Amino acid sequence: MDAEFWNKLRNDCRDEAAFEHCQQMLLQELQPLEQAAKNASFQLEQQKALLHVITRLREPIDLEEIFQATAIEIRQLLAVDRVGMFRFYPDSGWDDGEFVSEDVDPAFSSAIAEPVHDHCFGDQFAVHYQAGRIQAVADIYNAGLSDCHIQVLAQFQVRANLVVPLLLGQNLWGLLCIHQCRGPRQWNPTEIEFVTQIADHLGVALHHAELMVELRKEISDRQQAEQRAHNLNQELRQAIMELKAVNKELEAFSYSVSHDLRAPLRSIDGFSQALLEDCFDRLDEDGRDYLQRIRSASQRMGQLIDELLMLSRVTRSDLRWATVDLSHLASQLCWDLQQIDRSRSIDCVIQPDLVTQGDPLLLRVMMENLLSNAWKFTAKQPQARIEFGAMHCTEVDSAAIGAVDPLPTRNNLIYFVRDNGVGFDMAYMDKLFQPFQRLHGMHEFPGNGVGLATVQRVVRRHGGRIWAEGHLNQGATFYFTLMENVEES
Amino acid sequence: MSGSAAQKVILLVEDNPDDEALAIRALKRHHIGNEIVVAHDGVEALDYLFGTGIYEGRDTSIKPAVILLDLKLPRISGLEVLQRLREDDRTKLVPIVILTTSSEEQDLLNSYSLGCNSYIRKPVDFVQFSEAIRQLGMYWLLMNESPPS
Repeated sequence: MDAEFWNKLRNDCRDEAAFEHCQQMLLQELQPLEQAAKNASFQLEQQKALLHVITRLREPIDLEEIFQATAIEIRQLLAVDRVGMFRFYPDSGWDDGEFVSEDVDPAFSSAIAEPVHDHCFGDQFAVHYQAGRIQAVADIYNAGLSDCHIQVLAQFQVRANLVVPLLLGQNLWGLLCIHQCRGPRQWNPTEIEFVTQIADHLGVALHHAELMVELRKEISDRQQAEQRAHNLNQELRQAIMELKAVNKELEAFSYSVSHDLRAPLRSIDGFSQALLEDCFDRLDEDGRDYLQRIRSASQRMGQLIDELLMLSRVTRSDLRWATVDLSHLASQLCWDLQQIDRSRSIDCVIQPDLVTQGDPLLLRVMMENLLSNAWKFTAKQPQARIEFGAMHCTEVDSAAIGAVDPLPTRNNLIYFVRDNGVGFDMAYMDKLFQPFQRLHGMHEFPGNGVGLATVQRVVRRHGGRIWAEGHLNQGATFYFTLMENVEES
Repeated sequence: MSGSAAQKVILLVEDNPDDEALAIRALKRHHIGNEIVVAHDGVEALDYLFGTGIYEGRDTSIKPAVILLDLKLPRISGLEVLQRLREDDRTKLVPIVILTTSSEEQDLLNSYSLGCNSYIRKPVDFVQFSEAIRQLGMYWLLMNESPPS
């Protein structure tokens, strides 16, 4: 009310007494209005401060920064001496903790990082704060506080105290502490309401921070896993490179084997033959026999080298995939075998239309070896029988056909080549597929022991396995699968 | 027997003296009477065919009826000899038979790609080797019509 207003009022009043009465009445009416205006302006400031805090919470900054900025904001707005965020040590049962963030009037000492032990709190009060209790104390010396509590507060020069819980979900994480140190102070409801709202928002920030920690951990876990995968890949690449180098060496080796080992054999055989031809008359029966032995030994060694080369080729050559009619192949091969010795009587029983995917050359090598084995080991049978066929995995009992490992569950075929020849002792099953292992004497059945090793490699390269079942003088059956691990399309 | 082929030489390119002796023996046994010239490595073979080096001044219009070429040779390899002969107008039509120990797929492929006429792997068994030489002589010296000079 300016002077002009009061002059006007004085003029309108009938005398000085009336004017004073009017003035008194007006001032009485105005007082609450002025208080209300003051409150409104404080609330506006509060709203602004709250908005600041909330805006900051939404920015991806870390908890420490949020705490610090919030502490400064609150301290300015409420004109208090210290605002601190107190954190309980996890697993201390709320007995222990420390201030992790603070804004303090320079006239008073800092409470930061000073361990606080207060068993009374953990024992009696924590549960109430967990439930949302707020403590507003105007003067700690006149509020009936326990001695231990006063002692803790006095440590930080506290005179008036406003404490609001900081909750992470349902759990009491810490306390938002507002301290007045220079003297007692009454906390009015709007101030308490304001601090409570701030604490709620800090709870949200705590939750976000916790999620962030989890997220970071997950990211770092994932990065570590990626790193491990990367390292593994690197190791694999290294191993592949080494393998390739070894393979190259092998190739060079077998090339020189094929060249350098066969050449001297040709000389041995060739000049033995030359001796036989040129000096036939001058040699006696023994001499000719010895030369003949030299020749057959060098020829056998030549075959052995060839078979070894085949074995290594089977392993290192690239697979060329095509449709292969195994039944047709088996018929052809059996016919060829029958031509070798027409005096033998052989029944060849071949199940028709067994068609598979595979490398035609390698599968031919495989069938050739299996069938010529059957042909060889039935030589002493007056009526030999060689069978080629297949059955579905699901229709057979694996034990009944001597399979060591469980058969595939998918509807794969198990192929078999069966003969009624001399068979073998199951005790030597392990040796069957090892190169140069033979179960019969050379004079009994010729061979180098490379054939079945070759067959096994072909089968393995086609994602299958091979095993055998037999008994002495009761024939043998070779079972094999192909493409167990390849999806049929 | 065609007169011209009978008088022509056979060029045997072979560094192994045993293999040389055995090849000559096999040719003789089958009464293949052509003169046999032996080159002991790739350089000698090229010198003979192009009249250079130790064959300086040789009449190169006289070409072998067939060249028996080993692959593994000192100095210049059989494959390189084959390539150079096929690149040169003077020798690109001369029949060349690869006679080697190797049955490596890569060697076969390379030899045929470079234009050999035939590829024979020397068997260990001399009787088989001799038979191969006989057939080879029969074919290239008797049955095959040589390209016009």
